[in-house]
Amino acid sequence: MTNLMTTLLMQSSTAAEGPTPKTFWLPEGASTFAEQNDWVFNFINYINYFFFFLVIGLMVVFVWKYRQKGREVYARGPNHNTLLELGWTIIPTILVVFIFFIGFRGFVSMKTVPANAYQIDVTALRYGWVFKYPNGATSEDLYVPAGKPVKLVMRSEDVLHSLYIRDFRVKQDVVPGRYTTMWFQADHPTQGEDFHDLFCTEFCGTGHSNMNRKVFVLAEADFDSWVVEQGRWLDKIAPEELYSKAGPKLFARCAGCHTLDGKPGTGPSWGNYDGSGNIWERTSKAASAHKVSGKSVSELVGAGKQYETPEGYLRASILNPNEHIVDGYGPAMPTFRGQLSDKAIQALIDMMKHLDEFDAKGNFVGKK
Amino acid sequence: MTTLDTRPIHDEVPGNYLTFRRGILSWIFTLDHKRIGVMYLVAVLVSFFVGGVMALLVRTKLLFPGEVEWMTFDQYNKAFTLHGAIMVFLVIIPSIPAALGNFVLPIMLGAKDVAFPRLNLFSFYLWIMGAICAVYSLIAGGFDTGWTFYTPYSSQFSTGGTIPVLVGVFILGFSSIFTGVNFVVTIHKLRPPGMTWFRMPLFLWALYATALIQILATPVLGITVALLVVERAFNIGIFDPVMGGDPVLFQHFFWFYSHPAVYIMILPGMGIISEIIAVHSHRHIFGFRFIAFSSIAIAIFSFLVWGHHMFTSGQSPLMNVLFSAITFSVAIPSAVKVFNWLATLYKGSISLNTAMWYGLSFIFLFTIGGLTGIPLAVLSTDIHLHDTYFVVAHFHYVMMGSALIAMIGGLHHWWPKMTGRMFNETWGKIGCALVFVGFNMTFFTQFMLGSQGMPRRYYMYKPEFQIYHHISTGGSYIMGLGFVITAIYLLHSLFAGRKAPANPWGGASLEWQCTSPPPHDNFSVTPRVGDCYDFSAVSWDEKQQGYVVDVEAHVAAAQSGKGH
Repeated sequence: MTNLMTTLLMQSSTAAEGPTPKTFWLPEGASTFAEQNDWVFNFINYINYFFFFLVIGLMVVFVWKYRQKGREVYARGPNHNTLLELGWTIIPTILVVFIFFIGFRGFVSMKTVPANAYQIDVTALRYGWVFKYPNGATSEDLYVPAGKPVKLVMRSEDVLHSLYIRDFRVKQDVVPGRYTTMWFQADHPTQGEDFHDLFCTEFCGTGHSNMNRKVFVLAEADFDSWVVEQGRWLDKIAPEELYSKAGPKLFARCAGCHTLDGKPGTGPSWGNYDGSGNIWERTSKAASAHKVSGKSVSELVGAGKQYETPEGYLRASILNPNEHIVDGYGPAMPTFRGQLSDKAIQALIDMMKHLDEFDAKGNFVGKK
Repeated sequence: MTTLDTRPIHDEVPGNYLTFRRGILSWIFTLDHKRIGVMYLVAVLVSFFVGGVMALLVRTKLLFPGEVEWMTFDQYNKAFTLHGAIMVFLVIIPSIPAALGNFVLPIMLGAKDVAFPRLNLFSFYLWIMGAICAVYSLIAGGFDTGWTFYTPYSSQFSTGGTIPVLVGVFILGFSSIFTGVNFVVTIHKLRPPGMTWFRMPLFLWALYATALIQILATPVLGITVALLVVERAFNIGIFDPVMGGDPVLFQHFFWFYSHPAVYIMILPGMGIISEIIAVHSHRHIFGFRFIAFSSIAIAIFSFLVWGHHMFTSGQSPLMNVLFSAITFSVAIPSAVKVFNWLATLYKGSISLNTAMWYGLSFIFLFTIGGLTGIPLAVLSTDIHLHDTYFVVAHFHYVMMGSALIAMIGGLHHWWPKMTGRMFNETWGKIGCALVFVGFNMTFFTQFMLGSQGMPRRYYMYKPEFQIYHHISTGGSYIMGLGFVITAIYLLHSLFAGRKAPANPWGGASLEWQCTSPPPHDNFSVTPRVGDCYDFSAVSWDEKQQGYVVDVEAHVAAAQSGKGH
């Protein structure tokens, strides 16, 4: 049977020029797993077609041929037939053993990570992903080198998530409190604006269906220069432009929980929602009515208090968010320690100071 | 003060179980399995209506890929959660055993009632309490965990109604356990002389297998939701890693119940189909023992396969391999049943009544539901399909297209017996056809959505999926119309339907030998038992406009061994 298997699989794995195109049942196939898995899926499909038409065909024929004529009721037919019954028990058994086996083969290769795989660390949090590359660069979308095995080492900040790249036929839950891994190899670089979809497939709350991002496959040389550039993107922005250029990009990671227009989210809005001004105003005003941990902010911030400056308080709120929690909200925010550089935090605080120069979605629109 | 109905069962009272005593209190305190069955039926159908409205809301939202004004993200999440929880815990699990089973089981068996009538009534009121908890959870803020209550979302993040609904599920679990206990004891202890295990109708075999699962698996659900309540209320870490727990442990616990629960839903449906196919084909069921034992086999295997819900959860690859392999063992007895039903049609004398339309619909839908289970049981293909619409479509084909269609088929099959009235066959067939067409439109498209990669529980989706969602939602409206028509003609029959004969379809099992509706105590003399699938002594009686069974000949045939 192993020989037969090998022959069957070999036939299906003739190298393609690009990703296999979308079919009636399956999306584009863009990883090395796609060929093998699609073959198994289609094989099962043909078996299913056969049995479906067999069962329904016989049903229709019997119902037509043996429909009741008049009030004649008693019909004589065989009550049982041991040979037949054993036959339709044993033949499906053999079939499913074979089907199990081909699925098992595919699964083993999906679970055997090549030793030379390129490692990307993944952090899932409601409702986004952070991909961290070996040089410390991070991105919101996933960039991978073509023709090279890539291993994702994944952890979650809060609840269960699941990373699913349909064109690669891979999926793995991301579980808080442990690391899970998966690997794949995509041989064909994506062209221009094209990308592969990355979905979160484990229900994680309000923004679950927004927790999808893009996967770009870059030729190996392009990838190498991209990852170096990506590590330095903040460095190239002048300090006075930091909030306008880097702010919106960084705020996208906050936008899953914080709005700019005062509407409540998982966390408090950065905009004015309780009459004490936007996030900067309510933190910096001397007599702010804004309450955190049951106290007024002004009891925490100011000369001689826990935080000398509002900047210091805001910085602490990003790095150690659960020390002071705005009244009416729960301890839902993960720490961004190690994920945002000092310069990035500076960009966010600068953005808070200039909130009136941004629209409700966080795009920079300039002075009104 | 009204006391429990403890009048000796042999009191000669004219009329039937509906007229036996009158007034609302005679229902509230009844110990009659038939009345309890009818009350369950009403309660389950009301819940089915509510769950159905939720489904239509979800489907209507999904006409649009983006945000809609009339339904927020959170409302959508609560709507699909409520739909799932209602349909699973309040509708499908109790529908066949507690509603139809309660009514039919003792009569089919030849008994006057179940073994523990008070426990039976208590079990109904537990169901009511569970339902009240579910309603209360809506007032308390609703819950948005999905019906699976996965941790740590359910223990730390989800909305305020989560604890009430968990308490409700806990209580509903006991309702289910008590029904199971009752049925097992009834079948063991209350069989009349001559009712051997192999003369017992296959519906009773199925209910027996189901009851075993209810008793053995449901306590695990109770423990699981109790632990979850403890974690959520008192911050004792069991499943939440922040407090030292393990979220995957929750999934093991949950599926240890919820996979067998799939068979609590489908096994009694298969039992009903065995009855419908045999009776309306007027022909001995093919392979009685294979069908009977396949029910038991399914019940046993159902405990060993829960891990196939967790191939991507992070459990060890070795476990995945084992669970995948064992899962295929369930496929075989299911396939055997389908082949046996087909062989029963062969050389039958098939009358295409509404109940039979549902029976044939079941074979069609269950075949699809079963076959699409294969790519989900196979390791490599499940990785792609897990948590997509493919799974949604698969379990709707099994839980709705099969279990619920069987329940509605059974409702039509036994409607004349339960109510004493015949419904309109033409409207019955129109209703069935609409449900069948609507169902396939709704859910077959979801196989394509899923295999193309559309994740489940998504409020927003990519525009490329919209065409499938349009067909699916259109189908759900057609299905809804079919159910509305069904409700109308069934209710209409209560007032205007032709009086039902004792045996309208030509069945030979014992329930067709008492009047329609049955008398309060089912049988005034101990019934004589033949082979319930031997239709040789059944003939049409023009005067009664129904069938009659020549009991002498029927029993004699069984004793001479002609039946088998």
